[in-house]
Amino acid sequence: MSLMVLNKGAVGPLIEALMADYRVVGPQAKGPQFAFGTLTDPAQMRLDYNTTILPPKKVLQPQQERLASYSLGGKPSVEQIIEATPTVLFGIHTCDLHAVQLLDKAFSEEYPDAHYLARRDQTILVSLECLEPCDEHSFCKSMGTLTAGEGYDLHLTDLGLAYAVDVATEAGAQILSDYGSASEAGDGDVRRLNDVLGAKWPRFTYRLEFDAAELPALLSTAYDHPLWQELGDRCLACGSCTNVCPTCYCFNVYDETNMALTEGERVRRWDSCQLDEFARVAGGENFREARAARQRHRFMRKGRYIFEKFGELGCVGCGRCIRACVADINIVDGFNAIQRSA
Amino acid sequence: MSETPSNGRPKIAFFDFASCEGCQLTVVDSLQTHLDLLNAVEIVQFREAMTEKGEDYQIAFIEGSCTREADEARLLEIREQADVVVALGACAHLGGVNALKNLHPLEDTRRWVYGDKADWYGTYEARPIGAVIEVDLAIPGCPIDREEFVRVVKAVLIGKTPPIPDYPVCVECKLKENVCLFDIGKFCLGPVVRAGCDAICPTYGDGCEGCRGFIPHPNQNAMKDVLAKAGLTVEEVMSRMTMFNTYQLQEQLVEEEGR
Repeated sequence: MSLMVLNKGAVGPLIEALMADYRVVGPQAKGPQFAFGTLTDPAQMRLDYNTTILPPKKVLQPQQERLASYSLGGKPSVEQIIEATPTVLFGIHTCDLHAVQLLDKAFSEEYPDAHYLARRDQTILVSLECLEPCDEHSFCKSMGTLTAGEGYDLHLTDLGLAYAVDVATEAGAQILSDYGSASEAGDGDVRRLNDVLGAKWPRFTYRLEFDAAELPALLSTAYDHPLWQELGDRCLACGSCTNVCPTCYCFNVYDETNMALTEGERVRRWDSCQLDEFARVAGGENFREARAARQRHRFMRKGRYIFEKFGELGCVGCGRCIRACVADINIVDGFNAIQRSA
Repeated sequence: MSETPSNGRPKIAFFDFASCEGCQLTVVDSLQTHLDLLNAVEIVQFREAMTEKGEDYQIAFIEGSCTREADEARLLEIREQADVVVALGACAHLGGVNALKNLHPLEDTRRWVYGDKADWYGTYEARPIGAVIEVDLAIPGCPIDREEFVRVVKAVLIGKTPPIPDYPVCVECKLKENVCLFDIGKFCLGPVVRAGCDAICPTYGDGCEGCRGFIPHPNQNAMKDVLAKAGLTVEEVMSRMTMFNTYQLQEQLVEEEGR
């Protein structure tokens, strides 16, 4: 829509003003690392963060949420629980922005998910252009997520003393004009933006040794690859790789009832295909009993199955699964190994 | 087997063997804040909380490991009486820290504990009560988690499968978005140990020591590799793994040798 400029000194006041009417979620320090959290003070926001422990999906699909409450007395009743508050999700990197777009598809196609969609509908996305890789595990450039042309309401690029703000939606324009003090970008700002955007690419390296677009075809012939057994031997099946993944959306649903069995709540919680019991079904059969089969499933989801379902790769190259794995299982090394042996 | 209680409330009893009684203390604490649970049962025996001693009960909660042959008779009696036997806490569930003594010659530990009176007291290798009698379910932990105790007992009373997690501590720790202890130079058994504690130790900066026992099919070799890579010696790795799980690791060894 338009390009605006927001002085860095005006970011704090913008956040403070937004906090009056919105839940503002942004990156904050957590020990030596970072985590998205609700801001209670604009100074908590750390736009210089590298990556966060959990991705911003937790804002749209919380780790645990209530879906419905019910009573089973004389006249049984069920009430759906929709928990959504007006939220500004501030400062998400473009890898995570791509991931949100994928979650949008997963939760809206086939079986629209009222809980996710209500939250998504109330969420304004303010993304942030990455000018440096988070660390050596980032492979966003390989996955085509190093920048984003859409999907955000506002998109910030650090120009040094100010942020260039790409205003992409009415909602974005409105919060910027109602709560902030941005000015229209001039020719100098546009030149500076182009310089900054042009200069960043060499700082990022490709880590896949081939074009990611080849992944679905590559994996379609890799079902019996020896890599899976090797990974299965090392994998602890702790589930961390999927819990930190910005595109993993699997969950389990539980009922919590009272003692008298007269009322209860239905809740759901993140689940992981890496856990022993994930693929166990009634009767006791477990379709992915071996850790090797579970790791294969994860690689297939990220590089092939999600693409076949939604037309986009299931991996955005954020590198969180690599950082989180205490057994040093590395999805980039894995994909490269498969490609080399193909 | 006991008579069905006249008031419809199941009669429950608490027993203790070799333990610190901290799990029963946690039970007392839980019941104080969950009166619905307290009202749903009739406690007939609970040495730590009351004087009365009824021998008619349907559900027996047993804290502590069995460390004397002489205790087996009492355990068998409890099994005979109760419809449901619940192992309460790490000592009863796993053998727990008591089983550390199994790593030393029995005579040595006996002298160490009883000194010149050693001949007066019988002792044998510590074991979980499940090694002596059939146990219907275990509430893990050292001590047990008070909320989990309530959840499990409620499930038993309404006839549902008790919701004891079979996934590792890492799941709860990640969902809480804790900084991984391995990232700050510490050690943790979280990847192979049963969750349900809400990752309380890692949350406060202490590595998991395994009080809830291993998950089903733990990848122990990979866990040892990870700990070794993080800087632990073989002895340190084993000392960590055996803190609560000596009995299980020794049984595993016997099984492997038998193959």
